Amino acid sequence: MNDLRSRIAAIVERDRRRHGEAGGDSRGGAGTETLSARETPAHRDGDPSRAGALGAGTAALSPFSVHEQRIALDDLGLEIVGRGACDALLLAHLGLRGDAPARWQDVLWLDTETTGLAGGTGTYVFLLGTAYFSDGELVLRQHLLHDIGYEREFVETIQAEILPFRACASYNGKSFDLPLLRTRWVMTLRSEITVDESHLDLLHPARRLWRDRYGSTGLKQLEESLFDEGRINDIPGSLIPDAYFHYLRRRDPRIIAPVLEHNARDIVSLVRIADRVALAVLAARTGRAPDHAPAAYALARSFERTGELDAAFACFESAYVDGDNELRVKLALAFARQLERRSDVERALRMVETLLELGLGSDRWREQAASRVRRLTKKRWRQLAAAS
Amino acid sequence: MRTFVRFPARTSLEQILDGLQRDAQFQEMVTRWETLPARPARYAPFPEWLDGRIGAALRRRGIAQLYSHQAAALEVTRAGRHAVIVTPTASGKTLCYDLPVIDAIAKDPSARALYLFPTKALAQDQLAELERLSADIDIELKTYTYDGDTPPQVRAAIRSAGHVVISNPDMLHTAILPHHTKWVKLFENLQYVVLDELHTYRGVFGSHVANVLRRLRRICAFYGSHPVFICTSATIANPGELAQRHIEGEVVVIDESGAPRGEKVLVFVNPPITHRSLGVRRSALMTGRDIAATLLASGVQTIAFTRSRIQTELLLTYLRQRFPTPQWPPGLVRGYRSGYLPSERRAVERGLRDGSIRGVVSTNALELGIDIGALQAAVLIGYPGTVASTWQQMGRAGRREDLSVAFLVATSQPTDQYIVQHPEYVLERSPEAGLVNPDNLHVLIQHIKCGAFEIPFERKERFGTEDTPGVLSYLDEQGVLHEAGGRYHWSDQSFPAEGMSLRTATSDNVVIIDQTDGKHHVIGEVDRFGAPVILYEQSIYLHESKQFQVERLDWENQKAYVREVKVEYYTMAGVSVRIRVLDEFDRKEASEARGFDRAHGEVLVSAIATIYKKLTLYTNENVGWGKIHIPEQELQTTSFWCAIPERAVAGWPRERTEIALAGLGNLLHGLAPLFLMCDPHDLGMAVEVRSPHTERPTIYLYDMTPGGIGFSERLFRSYDALIERAREHLESCGCQTGCPSCVGPAAALGSDVRESVAHLLSLA
Repeated sequence: MNDLRSRIAAIVERDRRRHGEAGGDSRGGAGTETLSARETPAHRDGDPSRAGALGAGTAALSPFSVHEQRIALDDLGLEIVGRGACDALLLAHLGLRGDAPARWQDVLWLDTETTGLAGGTGTYVFLLGTAYFSDGELVLRQHLLHDIGYEREFVETIQAEILPFRACASYNGKSFDLPLLRTRWVMTLRSEITVDESHLDLLHPARRLWRDRYGSTGLKQLEESLFDEGRINDIPGSLIPDAYFHYLRRRDPRIIAPVLEHNARDIVSLVRIADRVALAVLAARTGRAPDHAPAAYALARSFERTGELDAAFACFESAYVDGDNELRVKLALAFARQLERRSDVERALRMVETLLELGLGSDRWREQAASRVRRLTKKRWRQLAAAS
Repeated sequence: MRTFVRFPARTSLEQILDGLQRDAQFQEMVTRWETLPARPARYAPFPEWLDGRIGAALRRRGIAQLYSHQAAALEVTRAGRHAVIVTPTASGKTLCYDLPVIDAIAKDPSARALYLFPTKALAQDQLAELERLSADIDIELKTYTYDGDTPPQVRAAIRSAGHVVISNPDMLHTAILPHHTKWVKLFENLQYVVLDELHTYRGVFGSHVANVLRRLRRICAFYGSHPVFICTSATIANPGELAQRHIEGEVVVIDESGAPRGEKVLVFVNPPITHRSLGVRRSALMTGRDIAATLLASGVQTIAFTRSRIQTELLLTYLRQRFPTPQWPPGLVRGYRSGYLPSERRAVERGLRDGSIRGVVSTNALELGIDIGALQAAVLIGYPGTVASTWQQMGRAGRREDLSVAFLVATSQPTDQYIVQHPEYVLERSPEAGLVNPDNLHVLIQHIKCGAFEIPFERKERFGTEDTPGVLSYLDEQGVLHEAGGRYHWSDQSFPAEGMSLRTATSDNVVIIDQTDGKHHVIGEVDRFGAPVILYEQSIYLHESKQFQVERLDWENQKAYVREVKVEYYTMAGVSVRIRVLDEFDRKEASEARGFDRAHGEVLVSAIATIYKKLTLYTNENVGWGKIHIPEQELQTTSFWCAIPERAVAGWPRERTEIALAGLGNLLHGLAPLFLMCDPHDLGMAVEVRSPHTERPTIYLYDMTPGGIGFSERLFRSYDALIERAREHLESCGCQTGCPSCVGPAAALGSDVRESVAHLLSLA
């Protein structure tokens, strides 16, 4: 037996060395050290890690818990989201896929914390943060799993809680959180999750509106840029899995507290960002397009898709006026279509011709533009002929 | 549209063979001319329980009955038993698994099957075949390949709707098993798993595959399915045992083919010796070219197999020169190897089937079951390395009724020379065994990690025969796993299947990077233990018969940077190898009269390369040397060893003993692959004039895979046969004092090497 152990040790050690060189050892990194530093000596001596995982310790601590907070809408500074009726077209701008929910209260806002980013059946969701609107408040509920051995019960409890919701909102949940939750549902309950029959994934609208302006559209970056609030003492996402593994062994709430905090902030930001997108949409509908040209352009395309053509026109116009030549080339043909629809063939023609004369655009674009000019010229002639 | 080929002289195969038999010069090269008589078919009716639509469709295709082995496979699998089918090429093996699968889906559309092929090309071929068959039968049967080329947008559909998913073990390992929750439909309803070309799942790759299958069965159990495994294999000594190690359950071996066979002539050709003392023979490539050209000139559709890509290209060039346009149609002979575009390969396959291509030169890429129809002649340039491959390549010529011929042209390699002088080794029952060692700790631990990622391990669960709970609790202590609720959960943020290749035991390889043209191309890999002998700064590395010089060795990062050169010398490292026996698993003492003590067990091999010599090509003159600065390498593995009794070397000076040991070691090392279905590089050899363990002159043959793959135990058990073959081979070797085909070059070792080895063998 000892012999076997030493052989395994040699093999595992070698594997670790190799992986360590390549991409950073997964444990024992900086995160674990900072966390260890906060431990009290008592915890280190007693080695509660084994006790925590085995019988006795489990009975004392519940295997999972819910942390609830209620935040007033006013404290969150929400203007649109969570207030009044839900408008289906607005939801489309918020990245909706699926049927539009009737009320804001029907949407479950969610964000997960997981034991890894790789996905697959061995990546656990240990914290599910959810939020919904109720009585003028945002009810934030964080479900935390303390003992992986009780994952099934954990998922059952969450399942019961989220079952009434058919719509969810997330930040990149379509490709990250939901597939992981789906996997956990199959692993533990062998059932399907239904909360995302309608899904507002805010990542895409946020990216369209702000990537050009702020570079990154990570939640943290957007908080700083949109709300002028930086996070202090925030645990970096990359350290979260190790913090959790550490917590599983130590069961010291101070290890997991920063993760709960991180998750809560993510959800609140998610809701506030949705509100900012909604504000931009509503402003544009009344003719106040975003003053940042690429954002205006992004909204213009979004309005085109929802068929709100007047709003689209306002955004195109603003983007064209404020934008640089590159953006102008990008939007000119779509904008020309809107102008044409408003029977302003003259202006459409002038705009495209000007860009062509300036020698802008790729060859392919210039071909399309030239063809458009020919068609518009003919149309103008016909109009002139009809008028005379 | 068929191309009409204009042949100046059209002679039948009978006439050509007749001519060759009368050709005295040719006959001098022939060591065996074997005629296998035609064999009639043995049929069996369609079983009554078989879905009526299947029988009807087969009848429409002209198949009125089944071959006996196909019927046997149907009955065995219907009874829920695992089967391995071992019948020759072109005996209708595919139907052995297609029929049970189609029947199951015809009866229950929710049934699913998983087909695993060792290569992607085979999967494509199988897909086409299954689609044709199911279209004829008129049942709803969706078949998809799922591999690295499958576009992401169709993957979701395959996962839920595919009745038959065709994939490979690597894809199963990295893409399907770790995401099994996306494959619920497949795993809940999995009735059959097909493992085609089972004999290719041996050695390191096979040991990994056996573990991937353990993981597959765990997941099936999780979803409540218990699939029946249907395997097919080329002829090896132990198909049942190999299948059993993969399936870990009882397997029925079906090895009596009911398929008919036309008369078949097998000719073993040994090119004449050109340099007697060096044991150098006329090139097998040239001899093979002449045979192939004779056949092609008479319009006989011929396939030539070579052992490497470069030889394929060379032979193709030679044959094209022999058949110039416009006298001969262009495209008379085509090449086929990996590295050609898939569309080119499909075109060649089609051309061979419809007869418009008369000749093809191929690597072993065409050895496996790709459908190219029946050819009339096969020419094998060099022994393909295993009896199984030999039969598969020879089987490319000749299908149902007609006469066919296969030539095996030997090179001067020791194994080739053994085979050509002992053709019965190929013709009689195969002695070679497909070996796997799924419980190799290096391999096992990696798969236990993957398994834990897929489904947590129960505390008492067994995965393989090693002490699973011990491994689990160790990994728990290390924090890789986390025990909770009596189960071990994966607790690491990495994805264990990623970056873990099934084709090597450890991912510890030195990569060879060519920077000749300023860009970096990876041209090869050498395992870390073997690297110091081959890759040191200033060494000449040969790759596809080009010379490269190692300019820089980055040992830390396991990279060797090389540049192409043209020099008149090669380099050889002086290596000192020490062997420490850690554990003796089994031992057999010699009898009083004769024999050596032999044993097998676990060893630690330490090797250090210190200097290298520059030797001129052809004349082997020493023209310089240099130092090697690479740390000592250690390899913990399993070894076979035999100790020579003192009386055998009594009175010999130490030097003679050394030479005799080296010579005998070379001889055994050259022949051992005949039993192991392995490459000579998979086996290491070392000798000690006085071993600290046996306290006698000792020869070690050890497994080059860390932890061992089962070679040493097999050698231990085959000792008598190994020594017997060594004796036979030495007696029949054409050289006088020792050559590279037997004990090694006398010029380098000493002029009495052959004589001394013969003396030792007489006492073995």
